Amino acid sequence: MPGGRMTFATPMLAIIAAAIAVPALVILYFLKLRRRSVEISSTLLWKKAIQDLQANAPFQRLRKNILLLLQLLALAAALLAVAQPEKKTAETTGTRHVLLIDRSASMAARDGNGGLSRLDAAKKDAVKLIDSLDEGDIFGADAHEAMVIAFDTTARVVQGFTSDKARLREAVESIEQTDAPGSIREAFQLARAHRPRPAGEPSGDPEPDADVFAGIVPPQTFHLFTDGRLADLDSFSPTSRDSVIYHTAGDPKTTNIGIVGLRAERGYEQPEHVTVFVGVQNTAPEPRSVEVELLIDGVPSAVRDVSIPGAETREGVVESGGENGVRAELRPEPGRGGLVFEMDMSRGAIATVRVHTDDAFATDDEGVLVIPPATKTSVAVVTSGNLYLAEALAGLPLATLDTLTPEEFKAALEDGRADRYDVVVLDGILPPNTSPGRALGPGRWLILGAVPGGSEGLIDRGEAGMTRFVDWKRNHPVLRDLTLEPVRIGVGRRIEIGENSVAVPLAETTAGPGIVEMLTPESRAIAVLFDVAESNWPFDVSFVVFLASAIDYLDTVSGAEGGARSVRPGEVISTRLPARASAVRLVSPDGDSHALTTTPDGRVTWGPVRRAGLYTLRWRGDTGPLDVSDGGEAVRPIASNLLDAFESDIAPESEVALASRIVSSSSRESMGVRRYWRWLLLGSLLVMMLEWYVYNRKVRL
Amino acid sequence: MLRSTDPSRPASMDELLDSTLIAKISRLDLTSRKIFAGKLKGERRSKKRGESVEFADHRPYVSGDDLRHIDWNIFGRLDRLFLKLFLEEEDLSLHIVIDASESMDCGEPSKFLYAQRFAMALGYVGLVNLNRVAVTAVGGMVETGRSDASPAQAGLASASKDNDADTERREVSDSSLHTIRDLRGRRRTQDLARFLCSLRPAGATDFGDQARRLALARRGRGVMVVVSDFFMKEGYEDGLRLLVGRGYDLFAVQCLSPQEVEPDIGGDLRLVDVEDGDRAEVTISAPLLKKYRKNLAAYCDGLRNFCARREITALTVQTDTPVDVLLLDYLRRRGLVR
Repeated sequence: MPGGRMTFATPMLAIIAAAIAVPALVILYFLKLRRRSVEISSTLLWKKAIQDLQANAPFQRLRKNILLLLQLLALAAALLAVAQPEKKTAETTGTRHVLLIDRSASMAARDGNGGLSRLDAAKKDAVKLIDSLDEGDIFGADAHEAMVIAFDTTARVVQGFTSDKARLREAVESIEQTDAPGSIREAFQLARAHRPRPAGEPSGDPEPDADVFAGIVPPQTFHLFTDGRLADLDSFSPTSRDSVIYHTAGDPKTTNIGIVGLRAERGYEQPEHVTVFVGVQNTAPEPRSVEVELLIDGVPSAVRDVSIPGAETREGVVESGGENGVRAELRPEPGRGGLVFEMDMSRGAIATVRVHTDDAFATDDEGVLVIPPATKTSVAVVTSGNLYLAEALAGLPLATLDTLTPEEFKAALEDGRADRYDVVVLDGILPPNTSPGRALGPGRWLILGAVPGGSEGLIDRGEAGMTRFVDWKRNHPVLRDLTLEPVRIGVGRRIEIGENSVAVPLAETTAGPGIVEMLTPESRAIAVLFDVAESNWPFDVSFVVFLASAIDYLDTVSGAEGGARSVRPGEVISTRLPARASAVRLVSPDGDSHALTTTPDGRVTWGPVRRAGLYTLRWRGDTGPLDVSDGGEAVRPIASNLLDAFESDIAPESEVALASRIVSSSSRESMGVRRYWRWLLLGSLLVMMLEWYVYNRKVRL
Repeated sequence: MLRSTDPSRPASMDELLDSTLIAKISRLDLTSRKIFAGKLKGERRSKKRGESVEFADHRPYVSGDDLRHIDWNIFGRLDRLFLKLFLEEEDLSLHIVIDASESMDCGEPSKFLYAQRFAMALGYVGLVNLNRVAVTAVGGMVETGRSDASPAQAGLASASKDNDADTERREVSDSSLHTIRDLRGRRRTQDLARFLCSLRPAGATDFGDQARRLALARRGRGVMVVVSDFFMKEGYEDGLRLLVGRGYDLFAVQCLSPQEVEPDIGGDLRLVDVEDGDRAEVTISAPLLKKYRKNLAAYCDGLRNFCARREITALTVQTDTPVDVLLLDYLRRRGLVR
């Protein structure tokens, strides 16, 4: 709301003070005016003159008296200061402000004035807001408190609630840009966790109902400093008494061309044949043609032109949450284009893809890709004896295929030999669980005929009798080109997916999920939940295709979703090193080196990753099958790319649709509450000084 | 307007009347629009037929007339006795009334000093032309302790030598009227100066009352010059009316200090009247000053109008006007001197 109205915080107090002070001043003025006595020849004419003047205008004396006028002016300014005029330029409630500052990748777009990045602009706005926060009034009323939360995918409290403006400013200034996609969920959860609770209320209450506490919990004002490019804004659910002010950053007309997909594949049959897929997105309305350059290990290798269609303006009516109900105009759908680089290269390499464009957002103009050496997959089958499985796997082009008993596998796990296997096929058993609460231990698993439990796993409700597949994800890499219709399952299982489960159903049977994919930071599994032996699937050709696709999918390490060799900004690097790795350090893209310690099972974690680029793990010791050796050190490159079509569509939103309301962006020029009593007091003082000066000038002869 | 902080009191005649002024005014003589009867032979034409050389009229002889005045030529021609009448030349009485109230002791130059100088100069003109000169100070006091022969006493003494019956009443020093009278001749200028120098302004004037007493104590007609600021709370009208009613050829000389005409004070002031201690709290402002000036002009106009209706010659003079200008220009034009 631009140009807010001037209101008074304590008008009654000022009126009472005025009712006392103004007459007092006037009376004092008449009674207590110190006059100099001067003897004159006769008061005759003077008295007459005074009488005449008073007869003319009773208040002549008041009106013509500049001293009294000045005193009244000073008093008026002081009284106005007591009334505490304030200008509410944006709707705020309560005295607590939560500054949520988006530092996600899209905030790096330099479309502000003078090439200022959105984050810098937002920080400036935030500092302005902090400056305008109420420092408490003259009567010791509460100073406004603020907390600063910076968020990208994750959120961090940079500064807890305080009214110390210097610390708040410092906190805001300390926020650094990251290349992670934006997500407000965690930020809001943090803000809610910091909200003061009524005494006796358990602080761990995950979802305090907004209006239950409406009368008890003081309302607060959320200041969203973001460009609005947040996919999960509907998880932001302030109470109805809270205010939300959206401080938008960036220019709505900004367009961007960026890489949104990047993936390298080696041919299944010919591992030395590398295909690099690059997906490019254009948010400008007009079609664009850009040069895309591929560098292998930093050496330019190929340049291609790619034409990308312009963004399409969609029309239609969409239901959007909140009181506004229906919103007519939709965001234009960015144009997508892609190109493919093909080459033959059997060694491992770092591929860099660069889009030559001069748009405001540079983060997505470059992507890094770790192309592993050409190897075939090593697979271990852990089974107590399963003929059809062994037969089906034997036909696949694998590097090694070892068949282990569960006991042998356990021993291999303990002495680290199991690390040699890219994928482990578990027949009727579950992977060893290393951490409680986790469904799976670290590794890549194809599980057949077992149900991973635990809080991240599935709930097994027992046998379900005859069942069959009713639906499956036909576009998933594992189930692509498959038809599961002929499959009849003799003994199905009733499976439910728990609330916190990481399982994603790939194929549904009549009794529940039949095939699920489970992705955790450290493990990756495809689980067939029913016993394959009790079905006709092994006799169907789709079973072999499924096994091949699943092993290939689980083994895919290059590619955007390729497990430990690629990580998105905002995620944690978590990878397993060979046994006896020592002096482990991680070199980030800007050259900083971080020493890491390995867990007993050889795992290192670091993060979350803030910037996109190439991270390199270096250690002393054995190299893994896909690692390279460099000067006596083992080196494992890990690529970090934004590759987020949503984040790359950088045009800021003019309004944000929260769970319960739609908030329009507030005017940049005016925000917060401005209080003017300090200026008024200063003015009063100045007038008093002027009055003193005039007094001293006047009283001279 | 303000009380003189360092009033310089003249101590001798030289301070009241310097030689250049004497040179300028020596040629002057007093005159009057009216013709009064004098007491002594003087240089002024009298209403009385007398013994001057100036022929006035003839009248038939009645028994008892002085035979010396019979016009023998007419008797020769007409054979009837006629007396030849001559104009009598008498002296002119000049009475200078000085307001010696405290309000006169204000201004720069002081109004009282100005009044003293003016009285001295005018008195000198009167004395050198053989007129009877009297000076009365209304209000104020006479400083007596300075020497054995105080100026007033000296004037009194010297005046008593060549004067007649009311010698002892010549110097009246009751509470507020100080008078030296019946001075005549150039020799008396020192007496006049001593009297004037002995005057000290003090107290307030009740001009009406004093004028009544003056009028009642009138000794012969003549010219009366009242020198005052005429700032009288009770009004000057009664007093002037009484004086003019007794047949004086009255001149009212209003002395105002330049500060009274153009006040140069400012600020929040408590104005205290030097005479009665009356207070007026004022905050000097442009409108107030404007009003004051308007009032002053109206006051002076009021005095002039009042005087004009009663054949009183009124004159307002600022104390920074030289005395010779006052005498040679203003008063000559108004017919007091010639």
